[in-house]
Amino acid sequence: MKKQIAIVEDEPALRENYAAALARHGYQIKTYANRKLAMQAFNVRLPDLAIIDISLEDEAEGGFDLCRDLRALSAELPIVFLTARDSELDAVSGLRLGADDFLTKDVSLPHLAARVAALFRRIDALRQPADAAQILRRGALAIDAQKLQAGWNGTPVVLSLTEFWIVHALARNPGHVKNRQQLMDAANVVLDDETITSHIKRVRRKFIAVDAGFDAIQTVYGMGYRWVE
Amino acid sequence: MSIRSQLLIVGLSTLVLPWAGCQYARELETALRASQEQGLLASAGTIANALSAAPQRVFRDGADSPPFDPASGDLYVFPLDRQPLLDGYREDWGIAQGPVALPGKSSHGARVQAGITERYLYLYIEVDSPHFKPEPSDAHPAHDRFDRIDLLVQRPDGALQSYFFATNAPGLIAAQSLVAGEDGSGHATAEPRIQAYWLQSKSGYHVEARIPLSLIDDRLWIETRSGADPPPSPELRAIEQLQGGRLFFAPRGLDDLLATFVREGTRATVIDSNGLKFGVAGHLDAGADEPAPPMFSGTWFRRLMAGDSSALPERSTAPDRIDGPPATEALAGHLGTAWLRTGRRNLPVLAAAAPITIDGTTRGAVVLEQAGDQLIELRDRALTHLFDLTLLATAVAVAFVFGFATWLGIRIDRLRIAAESAIGNDGRIRLGMPEAARGDEIGALARSFESLLARLNEHDQYLRTLGGKLSHELRTPLTIVRSSLDNLESEGLTEEQRAFVRRAREGSQRLSSILSALGAAARVEESIKQADRVGFDLRELLISAMGAYQSGFPKVRMELRDPPDACFMRGAPELVAQLLDKLVENAVDFCPEGGLIAVTLTRGVGHYELTVSNDGPPIPQELLGRLFESLFEQRASRDDKPHFGLGLYIVRLIAEFHSGSVSAANRTDSGGAIFTVKLPII
Repeated sequence: MKKQIAIVEDEPALRENYAAALARHGYQIKTYANRKLAMQAFNVRLPDLAIIDISLEDEAEGGFDLCRDLRALSAELPIVFLTARDSELDAVSGLRLGADDFLTKDVSLPHLAARVAALFRRIDALRQPADAAQILRRGALAIDAQKLQAGWNGTPVVLSLTEFWIVHALARNPGHVKNRQQLMDAANVVLDDETITSHIKRVRRKFIAVDAGFDAIQTVYGMGYRWVE
Repeated sequence: MSIRSQLLIVGLSTLVLPWAGCQYARELETALRASQEQGLLASAGTIANALSAAPQRVFRDGADSPPFDPASGDLYVFPLDRQPLLDGYREDWGIAQGPVALPGKSSHGARVQAGITERYLYLYIEVDSPHFKPEPSDAHPAHDRFDRIDLLVQRPDGALQSYFFATNAPGLIAAQSLVAGEDGSGHATAEPRIQAYWLQSKSGYHVEARIPLSLIDDRLWIETRSGADPPPSPELRAIEQLQGGRLFFAPRGLDDLLATFVREGTRATVIDSNGLKFGVAGHLDAGADEPAPPMFSGTWFRRLMAGDSSALPERSTAPDRIDGPPATEALAGHLGTAWLRTGRRNLPVLAAAAPITIDGTTRGAVVLEQAGDQLIELRDRALTHLFDLTLLATAVAVAFVFGFATWLGIRIDRLRIAAESAIGNDGRIRLGMPEAARGDEIGALARSFESLLARLNEHDQYLRTLGGKLSHELRTPLTIVRSSLDNLESEGLTEEQRAFVRRAREGSQRLSSILSALGAAARVEESIKQADRVGFDLRELLISAMGAYQSGFPKVRMELRDPPDACFMRGAPELVAQLLDKLVENAVDFCPEGGLIAVTLTRGVGHYELTVSNDGPPIPQELLGRLFESLFEQRASRDDKPHFGLGLYIVRLIAEFHSGSVSAANRTDSGGAIFTVKLPII
């Protein structure tokens, strides 16, 4: 049975483009122009994944409300924000509301498809028993590439998909400096310098919340970042 | 010319006040002088008329007024204030003038002076007699030759009487007279009423003699003889045959009579037709003779007002006579006035003269003298006061105008400085203007400036956010284009179609990078809002970043000059790194291939100084202050990268976030530019 993806986007051209691209990857797409229509449909049947814009027609923050309501309906449903708004505040707000990823509209359709695939993979993997072979360990860090989950000293650290891929790219080759381009490639995303910086900052903050002494991610000024053990 | 100087000149126009006062004072002075002349002349006329009515009180000889001829032995007799001591000296006579030469046949010089008191005629005779021959003890005055003084006196009864003074020892002597004896040869008899004091001197002798007025009328002939001269012939000539020898003096009591006419501050002198002083009463004002120092303002005021009195004829100071105008005029029979000068300070003296006419003949004149400033003194005081007041008023007005102008100048200057510095070096606009609260024109001007600046600021703000807004608003349509291209590519295109799609994608990518560049400042502002300050080592950051730049920009040489030890500061290291990125990118853009980019870090007082200097063309002077403005871009694009003039604006934003500052300058060798960032240590 085809996975059903809901796209809530008020810009029709964009909405149709996303729908067409994802449909090509074999998903069943439902599109909604505003929050009201989307909620009506979701109350009837939850999609398998939701892609939501933040500003929806006349509601500047309609996407946030929608995300909150949707998360209330289902804890596991993967939710991705796809928005033209790229402020850090928006990203933080969106992720705090339980979104699995926060994408700006710079993302290319293949990248979007890769992300959607990854999120579905994670849903599937979560249903499988943990496969120790898939788990990457770097000191206190444990990364499950299958379930797209990370842990520090046994405590799970909740990361968005982009954040997870960044941590994964860094931790896979500790000591190697990953420049911004490499991190963007790993995260299947096109980001500017400031956004990479803020992603790294958020990741650090999440680990520090678990362990105040965390400093495994080092900035190499002018070059990039590296994981140190 | 500053407003201050302009208004000062305007203020100086109030000097017309004292000037007008001066003019008024001059006119007043002219009028006062005229009235003083008239008044004095009238007094002189009155006195002259009164004296004309009593000629016997003025002239001893009521009918005759002989000419004064010193050459024939005429003598002016000085009135003496008090009885002198008979001691051979004339210093106690109180007469400034010395004795006059005695005319005569004598081979040696002699000088004489006469004085009169109530009872006596005094004579003072000086004789040059290098070979003095004293009177022998048993002299025969008719034959013997010795130093002697012969007097021929007209007695009050008209007869002539001769005396002589001679001595063999200096001291008090009596005159001797030659009495004809029975044998025909005269012998000398002392006349004890006529006394003299005989004193030897180096060059001769001098004698002070005293003749009672009861023994003498008004003619006297004096002859001196040395031992070489023969004695005088004993026979007496008739008085009619004798020339000269007249004594000129007024009847006693003329001074007192005159004194009754004279007012204070006025001096009245009666002269005879020869100009000789017969009587004097009253005194000129002390100020005319004594240089009493007046008040300061009086001095310069007088100097300013009185004009030049040194051009006036000098007042005659001879003790025995008055010459010159107006006395000459009066002696010619007319009334006359004249302004004279006197004393060392050339003080003006007004003299008025009126003739004394007896039986149609001008026999003498009355000369009245008055200090020129006597009447004017009152006016002086009032006008000096007026002058001082107007001058003070002028000074106050000028000071006020000057102060006001200074104040105005300061206000305008303050406004000018505020206007000039309203747009700071960092491109920031200060909206507040001084003086804006004032209600006057300057306040209005300040308010105009304020509204102008406010509009400029709005515009500036708009420009500053324009990039971010544009970048944001264009993103959605761009995304539509790109996602459509993505979809199109998946539709199984032919090779030709793919080429078009690729071009479209390239275009959209370029557009995307343009939008990204446009929004850079907005993103930095965003991340500044989120930035955390942590302690970090600036030097380590520099070393790490410089390594990356050298590999990133292989075409230029990079050089880092850093202090030997760690440079800790508090701030946002990723922002500082970004600041450095922008400065180095900027330097690379202007650095020729193979040129040097030098980054230096030095520790200043309380701050670190980070400079990035590059070889290359110097920055035009007029751009130096504007480089850090938002969207300020002057360079012609040399590459595909879009430039929106945000790089240095971002540098400024980051420097300001760290409470630091940034400035640009040309290198002293003008071979490049140097950018300096100051970052506080704390």
